[in-house]
Amino acid sequence: MKKILLLALAGLVLLSSVFFFPVAVSAHDVSECYRDHQVCRERAFNLDAPWTKVALVLTVCDIALGKCILAVKV
Amino acid sequence: MNLICKQALILLALASGIPPSAVAAPGDSPVRRYVAEAVATEGGGSDNACLAMAVSLAFDADRIYVADAQDCAVKIFTKTGRFQAAIGRKGGGPGEFSFPSGVALLGGRIFVADKFNHRVQVLEASGRCLRSFGMPFAPDKVFVLSADRILVTSNGTGRSATEKLLHLFNGKGDLLREEMPALFSGDPVLDAFRNMFLVSPGPAGDFFVVFKSRERFVLHYGRDAALLGRIPVDGRYAAKSLPLPVRGGRKEVEAFCWDSAYDRGRFYLLAPAFTGEGDLGPGDQVFVFDAAGRLEARIDLPVRVTRLAVDGERIYAVDRTSDLRIFRIVP
Repeated sequence: MKKILLLALAGLVLLSSVFFFPVAVSAHDVSECYRDHQVCRERAFNLDAPWTKVALVLTVCDIALGKCILAVKV
Repeated sequence: MNLICKQALILLALASGIPPSAVAAPGDSPVRRYVAEAVATEGGGSDNACLAMAVSLAFDADRIYVADAQDCAVKIFTKTGRFQAAIGRKGGGPGEFSFPSGVALLGGRIFVADKFNHRVQVLEASGRCLRSFGMPFAPDKVFVLSADRILVTSNGTGRSATEKLLHLFNGKGDLLREEMPALFSGDPVLDAFRNMFLVSPGPAGDFFVVFKSRERFVLHYGRDAALLGRIPVDGRYAAKSLPLPVRGGRKEVEAFCWDSAYDRGRFYLLAPAFTGEGDLGPGDQVFVFDAAGRLEARIDLPVRVTRLAVDGERIYAVDRTSDLRIFRIVP
């Protein structure tokens, strides 16, 4: 039960990051998406946070990149 | 005889649940224990003295220099922790920074890896910019191996199979050589962890590389960034395993080291430690190895730290709240 709740919560966090993670307002082309992605990753590396948290932040960076590229291309 | 003794010890260890790597072989010198007592923390009564996001430390004969990535400044302290000055501010002009992530010193000059401006700046102690040189990647740390050899590291973008992580420049800022290809598997999260590494400058323009998780070796590079050798780290120093959430589920990653330093012929590895939530974070134990990788000592710190620099019997460190801590090693 606890595991299901945890999984549901994790899914909710990931979904909310997909829907609500801000796309850079200034992103007009894909190179700007990549620049923002790099900024996101570099900040994650320098957080000095525990590794699972860093892994989650890096995942959110990748999701944001995908979302940004979609927004620019569509 | 020694071999038989070691095998017997390993069998004994297996029977008692201790990993064989943790067993000292006959002839291994015992591991000495030290504690590090707090001497000072940062201070000076100024807002500037506060460190918001301390990510790199360097020191000379009198002072400690800390790159504060969030405040876009290099903050200077005495070796007793008293705040002296902050140089730099946010921006893209000379003497301005965007996420300064590395600091190094040579002959009174301060070298700063100015990450999001994609450059290294060379500054006077007053903060005046003497020169800067650009690069097509975001520099992470900078190390001045000699007046004509500047080593810059990068984290890689996770999007290319051809990236290199070590970049050697001459004193004018011309790129001389790039080394150490980033591992690329197509999973940017897993690759990020496998490519995390630490550099410690050696005594003669050489330098040492330790991966945070990839392998149990200290890599020794010469002043021209050519790999000279791989020093195996004593088996008694145990890595910690953590299942990381990556593409396709969880994957075990061996966390080897959180930070490293080199001082007077010895390596200092800050061991990662488990947090209360089962995650793996910075620890409070520093392990000391000789030049051949043999474990000599363990130093217990009073707090967990994220960065460290070693200066004889002193340890300069940054704790988890980004405060500068100064410790003295005592038996």
